[in-house]
Amino acid sequence: MIAFEHVGKRYGGRYDALAHLDFRVRRGEMVFLTGHSGAGKSSLLRLIMRLERPSRGRILVAGHDIDRLHHSQVPFYRRQIGVVFQDHQLLFDRSIYHNVALPLEIQGVEPREAARRVRAALDKVGLLHREKALPIELSGGEQQRVGIARAVVNKPALLLADEPTGNLDPQLSADIMRLFEDFHRIGTTVMIASHDLALIARLRHRMLRLHEGRLVADEEAA
Amino acid sequence: MSRESAPARGARSHRATTGSRWRAWLRHHRAMGQDSARRLLRHPLGSLLTMLAIAIALVLPAGLWLALDGARLLDAELDESATLTVYLAPRVEAAEAARIEQALAARPGVAETRLITAAEGMAEFQQALGLEDALTRLPGNPLPASIVVHPVETAPAVVRDLAEGLKAVAGVEEVRLDLAWLERLRHLAELGRRVTLGLAVLFGLGVLLVVGNTIRLAVENRRQEIEVVTLIGATHPFVRRPFLYSGAWFGLGGGLLAWGLLTLGSDWLAAPVSALAASYGASFSLPRLGPAGSAMLLACSTLLGWLGAWIAVSRHLAQIRPR
Ligand SMILES: Nc1ncnc2c1ncn2[C@@H]1O[C@H](COP(=O)(O)OP(=O)(O)OP(=O)(O)O)[C@@H](O)[C@H]1O
Ligand SMILES: [Mg+2]
Repeated sequence: MIAFEHVGKRYGGRYDALAHLDFRVRRGEMVFLTGHSGAGKSSLLRLIMRLERPSRGRILVAGHDIDRLHHSQVPFYRRQIGVVFQDHQLLFDRSIYHNVALPLEIQGVEPREAARRVRAALDKVGLLHREKALPIELSGGEQQRVGIARAVVNKPALLLADEPTGNLDPQLSADIMRLFEDFHRIGTTVMIASHDLALIARLRHRMLRLHEGRLVADEEAA
Repeated sequence: MSRESAPARGARSHRATTGSRWRAWLRHHRAMGQDSARRLLRHPLGSLLTMLAIAIALVLPAGLWLALDGARLLDAELDESATLTVYLAPRVEAAEAARIEQALAARPGVAETRLITAAEGMAEFQQALGLEDALTRLPGNPLPASIVVHPVETAPAVVRDLAEGLKAVAGVEEVRLDLAWLERLRHLAELGRRVTLGLAVLFGLGVLLVVGNTIRLAVENRRQEIEVVTLIGATHPFVRRPFLYSGAWFGLGGGLLAWGLLTLGSDWLAAPVSALAASYGASFSLPRLGPAGSAMLLACSTLLGWLGAWIAVSRHLAQIRPR
């Protein structure tokens, strides 16, 4: 599903945020990406979303070299990836319902079909009863779950998450990880950046460890 | 991903999605048209001020254009009164004069002729000057007979050629054509047209700037929203659409206000203008924006608003990059 071939990323010509990255993620796999703060986890995910472009090497997603996408194709590429952002990226002037519906609105999904899918996604994250609320009225964990609902409402084949359990308590973090495992179980390829090593270790999935922009460990699920 | 899922679908479902994509596009247009109108109404005073600025920029060129339109009507009227006066030699007898008149009337380029005999000429002259006594004391009639010629075409060059031709006719002493003032008026009208065009371009740019600035602020206010929708796969046209509608609404509102100002203005000026015209013996009234003119004004202002928004949003989208 994802292949990095000798990928390097340099910001502003000074030093390499990422270097010599070579790995593959198979279709339907669930992978954790870990490393110290500043190791390059977010940068790696941004490369996959094509928010940044590699300074060196190639990134293939579903067999396509994403660096060769014309910029007019990029939006259509992004629609095929569900992303949960480190800082939610919710719109605070819209209800939960409309936040989750946003990707469908962008793709022009017919409203009745959209409503059905939004409710299904909200149901999945346990927030169906809050659909009329504004994001500001929700707790941090609930906002994170809205972000997840928005990422999966489109049934993407690839789901990326950047610190989805950032500031949550252990119980909530475990709940959220269980949600991702559910999507993994139905065939979605999932890649999660996290530095919560204790939690990751318990979940027994493949783990890529970054250190100063280099891949220092690739541990298959025990 | 798309390549792998494509064969599974089929040609039929592809055709179906073209139709639904078209419907989705229309749906988004309708939604954004309404949404941007609601946003305008949410800040009625600010919106009104922007529209007023647009209206003021539109009123001056539109008003001038109207005045020119009136001048064009006047011009056409004057064209009809463009005539040549052919003075015959003093020795030409009345019968001879009538024959010459017929000859002139038969020439190509001559629409109509009228003979003014020496006696008639004297009568007119006396009447105009009120010098009956002085003139009756003159020995004989010093005025020649003359023929007033209406040309078919009134373009100055054509009239001048016609005059040359008439001068060569036997018995004709002089041909007078008073085109200078007509030409002066034409030059003046041309000047007015160019000034109006120049002003229209300048003030059109002004409208672009007003709308552009307003939309720039709107984009800045919704920066986070733009970033988020870009992150999840919105195309540039999708992001631009609400702002383009805002610009078009501003333009339309400004155009309507300008229309109102113009109507009020021509009501206000109508009385002095027709009084002035009457004092020159002309019947001239300020023309009003007819249905076609009104439609034109509104279409132009809406288009300008849309264009201003387009420029502002496009310039800004290039700068906004999702974090
Ligand atoms: N846009 C940018 N311009 C310049 N340098 C950047 C940019 N984005 C990231 N970096 C640098 O790249 C390195 C990796 O950053 P990145 O955000 O990928 O780390 P991270 O592993 O996600 O850290 P954290 O756990 O704190 O989120 C950092 O040293 C950072 O300063
Ligand atoms: Mg990060």
